Amino acid sequence: MNARCGAQFRAMLVAGLTGVASLSAAILAGGQMRRAALKTSHQQPTPEEWIESPTPTSPTLIKQGRTLFLNNCAHCHGIDASGDEGPDLHDLEVSDRFISNQIAKGVKGEMPSFAKKLQRDDITRLTAYLRSLAGEENEGGH
Amino acid sequence: MDPGLFAKAHGATTHFPVALALGSLLFESVAFGVGNRPIARTLRAAGYWSIALGAVGSLGAVASGLLMTKGGVLGHGALRLHHQFVWPAFGLLVTLATWRVLTGERATRRASAVYLAALGLMAVLMLAAAYWGGEMMIRR
Repeated sequence: MNARCGAQFRAMLVAGLTGVASLSAAILAGGQMRRAALKTSHQQPTPEEWIESPTPTSPTLIKQGRTLFLNNCAHCHGIDASGDEGPDLHDLEVSDRFISNQIAKGVKGEMPSFAKKLQRDDITRLTAYLRSLAGEENEGGH
Repeated sequence: MDPGLFAKAHGATTHFPVALALGSLLFESVAFGVGNRPIARTLRAAGYWSIALGAVGSLGAVASGLLMTKGGVLGHGALRLHHQFVWPAFGLLVTLATWRVLTGERATRRASAVYLAALGLMAVLMLAAAYWGGEMMIRR
């Protein structure tokens, strides 16, 4: 009976260690991939939305994003984001990460960085709003 | 390369481990319930192979998910909620499968009861992760 319990305890120990090791390996591999991705694709304006982490969206987020847009972006991109001094932001064919980076880092000589002014969640809201513009255009039949 | 390759691969690989793990819970629960009847041995064997193959399959699901999110292990919004359930479920699934494979038919009834309870918890975590995974697809 004791030998049986001992064997079960050892199995439990090995199983626990295997579980923790698998989880750690997955998370470490994820971190490694993340670092590699940040070094490469995030500055490439290529259509890659399917392999991006999806930006959450909801009517509330879009509404909050629109408020942020009006306060921070509209004076250059136009009140309806159709472009003024800055470009038209409808139907952007770039990844969510690219949009977030552009907002946070800016474009040298063209657009200021908003990293200090906007929190990460604010940038997510803005991205959700900008994504909603593409839908708006499609629904409008443009 | 098809830009949607990893998203498609994730969709193709996630459902097998979910179905196998839930199947294992069902087989093991019935086996536990019927006690020492001859059918129990067959059910336990089905539970054994289901959890073992489910754990192996989960490695593919995790790998394709990481490739899809470019290594994002948490993220935000629905993705964050998906990950908050998926990681404990994955860790628990591998742990339980390893224990089941190492123990085989030698588990005591008490150990089997604890195993079943942990398997139930893993199933709940897995279903919650699946729910938020589905929500992400709908919200897109």
